Amino acid sequence: MSQNKTISKIRILRYVILAALFIIVARLFFIQIIEHGQWVAKADEQHTLLETITPKRGEIYMMDDDEPVAVVLNQSTYQVVIDPAVTEKAVIEEVVNKYVRDYAVADLDEVYSEEGLRYAVVAKNVPREIAEEINESGATAVWLKKTNQRVYPEGDLASGLLGFVNSDGVGQYGVEGSLNDTLAGKEGLIKTTADVNKVALSIGNDNVKIPAEDGANIVLSVDRGLEKGVEELAISAVNDTAATNASVLVMEPDTGKIVAMANLPNYDLSNYSDVDDASAYINFTTEVPYEPASVCKSLSFSAAINEGVMTSSTTYFNQGYEIVDDWKIQNAEQRSMLYGTIDMKTALYWSLNTGSIYALKLLGGNPSAINQTGREKLYDYYYNKFRLGQITGIEIIEAEGFIPDPNEGWGRDSVYANMTFGQNLGVTMVQVASAFSAVVNGGYWRTPTIIEGNLVGNEIVPLETEKVEDKILSDETSAMMREMLVNNRNYKVNGGIDRAGYSVGGKSGTAQVIKDGAYDDTMSETVGTYIGYVASKDEMPQYVIMVKMSGEGAYLDGGIASNLFDTVSNYIIDYYKIKPGA
Amino acid sequence: MALGLIVIYAIGPMRANVLNSTYGANYDPNSFFIGQLRSVVLSLVVFFVAFKVIPFKYLQKYSKPIMIAALAMSILLWVLAKMGSSLVRCELGECRWFDFGIVSFQPAEFLKLALVIYLADFLTRKQKEGMTGKWREFWLPLIIICGTSLALVVVAQGDLGSGVALIAIIFGMLLTSGISTRQYLIMVAIVLAGSVFAVATSEHRMQRVDAWVATLTGGESSDSTYHIENAMLAIGVGGLFGVGVGNSVQATGYLPESINDSVFAIMGETFGFVGLFLVIAIFGAMLLNMLKVAEGTVETNSRLFVIGVFSWMAAQVVVNIMAMTSLIPVTGITLPLLSYGGTSMVFIAGALGFVLQLSCYTSREVITNEDISSRRGIRGTHHASRRRNQRNTK
Repeated sequence: MSQNKTISKIRILRYVILAALFIIVARLFFIQIIEHGQWVAKADEQHTLLETITPKRGEIYMMDDDEPVAVVLNQSTYQVVIDPAVTEKAVIEEVVNKYVRDYAVADLDEVYSEEGLRYAVVAKNVPREIAEEINESGATAVWLKKTNQRVYPEGDLASGLLGFVNSDGVGQYGVEGSLNDTLAGKEGLIKTTADVNKVALSIGNDNVKIPAEDGANIVLSVDRGLEKGVEELAISAVNDTAATNASVLVMEPDTGKIVAMANLPNYDLSNYSDVDDASAYINFTTEVPYEPASVCKSLSFSAAINEGVMTSSTTYFNQGYEIVDDWKIQNAEQRSMLYGTIDMKTALYWSLNTGSIYALKLLGGNPSAINQTGREKLYDYYYNKFRLGQITGIEIIEAEGFIPDPNEGWGRDSVYANMTFGQNLGVTMVQVASAFSAVVNGGYWRTPTIIEGNLVGNEIVPLETEKVEDKILSDETSAMMREMLVNNRNYKVNGGIDRAGYSVGGKSGTAQVIKDGAYDDTMSETVGTYIGYVASKDEMPQYVIMVKMSGEGAYLDGGIASNLFDTVSNYIIDYYKIKPGA
Repeated sequence: MALGLIVIYAIGPMRANVLNSTYGANYDPNSFFIGQLRSVVLSLVVFFVAFKVIPFKYLQKYSKPIMIAALAMSILLWVLAKMGSSLVRCELGECRWFDFGIVSFQPAEFLKLALVIYLADFLTRKQKEGMTGKWREFWLPLIIICGTSLALVVVAQGDLGSGVALIAIIFGMLLTSGISTRQYLIMVAIVLAGSVFAVATSEHRMQRVDAWVATLTGGESSDSTYHIENAMLAIGVGGLFGVGVGNSVQATGYLPESINDSVFAIMGETFGFVGLFLVIAIFGAMLLNMLKVAEGTVETNSRLFVIGVFSWMAAQVVVNIMAMTSLIPVTGITLPLLSYGGTSMVFIAGALGFVLQLSCYTSREVITNEDISSRRGIRGTHHASRRRNQRNTK
């Protein structure tokens, strides 16, 4: 082969290689210079690991001998996390079946059918010891993420009050639900460059770490020992009667502080999903408005007395019924000795509806008929002063309820007549208890509260929330009401139930229930309520107690409710060692 | 090699970490760097031995035994692999390495060098005998030797990348062997058709082609496109100056084969366009210099050898980089002297050593004299630099 030919062939190779290298350089220029931004954006998407740092959820405490004691604690558990793109399904199946079958939360077929998935939680609430076993097994591309699980050292105590935390870590119902934001704290964030196994790298300039803010430890004003005792008494009451549900509220009338809040039956907080009826989650003392019936007479009487139009000695003619708006409203008590002229103290003692209707008439300035003025005044007391039918401001979820407008709607006189003895309105137990507290504590309406404060270290730091203290009744009105309420329980004193040396006052209520849109006059199902207070003899009330008992298709009157009140009031005297008065 | 060493030093621990965490392996963070350092030292030794110690004429003399030894090794590898011998190391189902414990060896790399040596001798002999282009005397033995080599590498070892390098070696050397252009183009067409057939009938190879088309046309990402997308991502992220040594994120497991076939992409991320341009310039200079040596080499055998080494290296450089930049489908070929892998580096270093040795015997005068086709005709050795000095003093 001639040398020239060879050289020309070599020249071809030179051109080929030069052309190839030129194409490569041009291509690199295109990728690295022109498309650079686009690739950086793609890289950010692929390399950036955004991970939230879960804060420690706040614990919940109750009071015991002025010391906070935990009733809801945290326990560390683990989530098993996998990267389906890296680990084979068979490997994960083996890990799940061997270690975490009882904690599995994901369908592996679904996980592996999702294209491009790089992160999946396959098990939750895995105990530490099992997590350690998985760790030691050396299973590849399986991570363990630490999480917190709620534990309840007091079992199902106050379940309706406390609520629970669901599997997503969100508080549901009760204190957990109401104060979820406070308890949950604030999530932190890690934004970092990560390797293919999602392990954070120190490479990268815009790595971010925002630490999590742990949730606040909340101390309830509820007294653990009292709560336990009250719940036991309520369970006995439910077991001894036709009732299926009982709610008890114990409040300090001079502070608005709630020291017991029971909703029976309780449910197992650790296995909250096992309940048959979701109504078990509801806190009936704050979340469900109802008609408390004759306990409201203590409020309507207070209104008339406070307006100066009535005293306990004021008399009226009782014929056993009243016709209002062509509607016959009868007394439940129809003893012949009560017919004729009787005083208001007697009317309250026997819980006569005619008596409270008379108080309404007096509020309107016309003893013979209900009028607009009377309706408006009662509305003013019920809604504006006693704050019935509106949010009280307690820290947990509560319902508003309703009070009918005094100037709208058909038959408003009969509606307002019914309202004087606690029907035709919707109020919660905590609204009634707060109003009743004002009646007996010297006339001060105070915002009910169930939070003592946040536990910071060993110190309880009170919350900076606005509390209302409103003088709505005169001292004289309150004193007169106390006298009548104590008088109501003469038969309990005589029966040896109320102990000597103590002033116990109260008022019962038996509410008809609405069936098929109308009151069930057969009284086949009623809700029994009792509200009262306990104090050293002739002292200011120390605790207001409200109980409610109900049951599907069960007749439960105020008398049955009063029996539970009796046991609770005596328990409180013993529990707090209230000294008898002279 | 130094650049490769730096890159392996930076990304070796990441590679070890990924292998350890993903596959439960137990690599020391420095094991890849130490391995590469060992390869570099060995390669430098081999380079100097080839350059200074072993005269090129011995290669000519022993070209047949060398070729037989190389083929025998590949056959032995295949047989042992079939027998499931522990002396054979397989990765991802392909058995390409002898494993002697502390040292492993890839016969395909030896075969490339052996083929260059053998073809240089074979083509020279045929040229002298005037048999070039004859079917029975030239093409038949050539096809048998080359076909066997390709079959052993591509079919038995599943090493398409080495197959591409062998084809480049064969056609690079044939181009300058004196065969007619017509015959050359016919053979190119036949091999091209065969290659297309081989790709079209292989599901695995078609997947690579589909992935390449998808990447070029902005099609949907899939498992097949993962490798090339991440290679482009690494290069693209590098920008003008790169992210710097030790800051490659793609090397932390995102980019497959980050220290082997994909090392160019990691270098792109680390050193940017400027760094890659420099790498390409160095390779370009090296390749163009080899062509210059070939032009200046008077002896056919030596010239063909240089062209063979050029073709081998050019094919690996161009095919690797083009695959990483999605200009062609991924073939699984290493980047000479930079990729992690001892056998490849050692044999290329050896080949370059011989090229450097031959460059010492080039003559500018000779290449213009058509009557002189052998350095023996010049009587004595003519060192290029000495010739230049002589000319300058005239």
